[in-house]
Amino acid sequence: MELNGRNGVSPEEVNPAHIVTVTNFSANTLRSIIAHIEVSTEFEHLVYREAELDAVWSITGFFLVNEPDSSRRETVKRLHAGVHKAHDLVAASRTVDAAALLRTLL
Amino acid sequence: MIWWPPAAPWTQPRFCEPCSNLELIGEAMLAREENELLTQTDAGTPAGNYFRRFWLPVLLPTELPAPDCPPVRVRLLGENLIAFRDTNGRVGLLDEACPHRRASLFWGRNEECGLRCVYHGWKFDVNGTCVDMANEPAEYRFENKVRTTAYPTCEYGGLVWAYMGPPEHQPELPKLEWARVPDSHRYISKRLQETNYLQAIEGGIDSSHSNFLHASLDAFRVTDSYVEKVKKSNNLRAKYHLLDKAPWFTVKKTDYGLVIAVRRKAEEDNYYWRLTQFLLPSHTIIPYQKGLSIHGHCWVPRDDHTSWVWTVSWNPDAPLSHEDWQTIRDETFVHAQVDPATFKPIRNKDNQYMIDREKQRTANMTGIHGFASQDQAIQESMGPIVDRTRERLGTSDTAIIAMRRLLLQEIRALAEAREPFTARHGDVYWVRSASLLLRRDVEFDEGARDLMKAEV
Repeated sequence: MELNGRNGVSPEEVNPAHIVTVTNFSANTLRSIIAHIEVSTEFEHLVYREAELDAVWSITGFFLVNEPDSSRRETVKRLHAGVHKAHDLVAASRTVDAAALLRTLL
Repeated sequence: MIWWPPAAPWTQPRFCEPCSNLELIGEAMLAREENELLTQTDAGTPAGNYFRRFWLPVLLPTELPAPDCPPVRVRLLGENLIAFRDTNGRVGLLDEACPHRRASLFWGRNEECGLRCVYHGWKFDVNGTCVDMANEPAEYRFENKVRTTAYPTCEYGGLVWAYMGPPEHQPELPKLEWARVPDSHRYISKRLQETNYLQAIEGGIDSSHSNFLHASLDAFRVTDSYVEKVKKSNNLRAKYHLLDKAPWFTVKKTDYGLVIAVRRKAEEDNYYWRLTQFLLPSHTIIPYQKGLSIHGHCWVPRDDHTSWVWTVSWNPDAPLSHEDWQTIRDETFVHAQVDPATFKPIRNKDNQYMIDREKQRTANMTGIHGFASQDQAIQESMGPIVDRTRERLGTSDTAIIAMRRLLLQEIRALAEAREPFTARHGDVYWVRSASLLLRRDVEFDEGARDLMKAEV
């Protein structure tokens, strides 16, 4: 992924009508979600963003259960909580706030 | 700070810990308050008010087969009601409790255009007006001042419908295609499901479960014999599900609800699209292939813990075929046999849905006969109201997320005195589902526009 576009995601990759593939909670995944949140305006876009954040939240939740001794536990815990808040902001159509919050987690 | 992908394969999370541990970590994505807002439909609740803005299916006409026939009990949106057909053939739907001493009108005599309570003889017409107070001396009678709760009804599309909301907001009837075909072109069944309506709808729009819950073992394992069978079949769904196991999900908000679109790669430059319709407040239409019959559902809250599942099969162009009737009788697809008095399915949780473990080992995923029973078994296993605060959703749950979000918006809008558009516009229900091949450069709503228009 080219990192010189919006939040490190190249602009041509950002189509709010497409769902970001979420298989991990890497910085790149998060950047891609943030970039998509920033251009999301329609009901459908916001639903996709909710689905992506649901997926990140699920994966971080499984990590916290399955890796109780991980050195990254506190960090992932913060991400888990932050994604939850961002999800609520997206559900309330507050995309700017959601993106800003997620950026603080990068 | 950057999080790198963990070493573990996250698409296959380990489940060695009890899932209940997950609730210790943070709050849930669907808050408890939102789950309650969506699932509570008694009188006075926000979702209950919302459902009370629509005409809802209540009875099969055969439940009240003739004028002055015995009344029947109806439970709907948490209310206990009595339905009766009066001497003139009109259907009344009254509060079950007589307003005099609260005795049940189920025991009432259906006579001369009214239902008479057998306790003290008060009699009510289909409008709920007390037309006789037989136990009061003539000079003390005040029947013209007494009313009981009565809801307007109408017979339409092979069903009796009721409206339980404020009279000033009485909506239009939904111009659903299945309601407008001749009786011979349509079959409707009714069954009781022991879950909240919401998880029943969620099953109806969840495209990704059919490859598992409803699959034969051959289809699941993609055996050579199955591949050969599919190649010879004209069943597009089976064919393209084989070619692409990772479909692309999308939704589109419409005047009436949602189109839920699932796209799979097909040959050359085509995509195979399956388009499910969700129509407010709780109708769904399963993707259909042109030339075959169409199937849909309406999921109506009986109360917070049970629902009425109305299942409709119809052919807009011709009477249902011999094959359609055979499928209905064999219960292999969307209809299930029920007890004619209670509408509880013959295959139900009390008899483990008649699961056949040998069949599960050798023939299909569940060992349970028929799609309807398979759906019911799984949805009832989630509890009467699934605890959505303990869910872990992914991107394949997009349709479910969209439907909940739309219902929440609608329910909250009504709470702020914004009336639902759909209830006032019966014409918007004039749609079909679809499944079709489209060139890859054609958007589904463009390419399927004509196919999604109802014709009758």
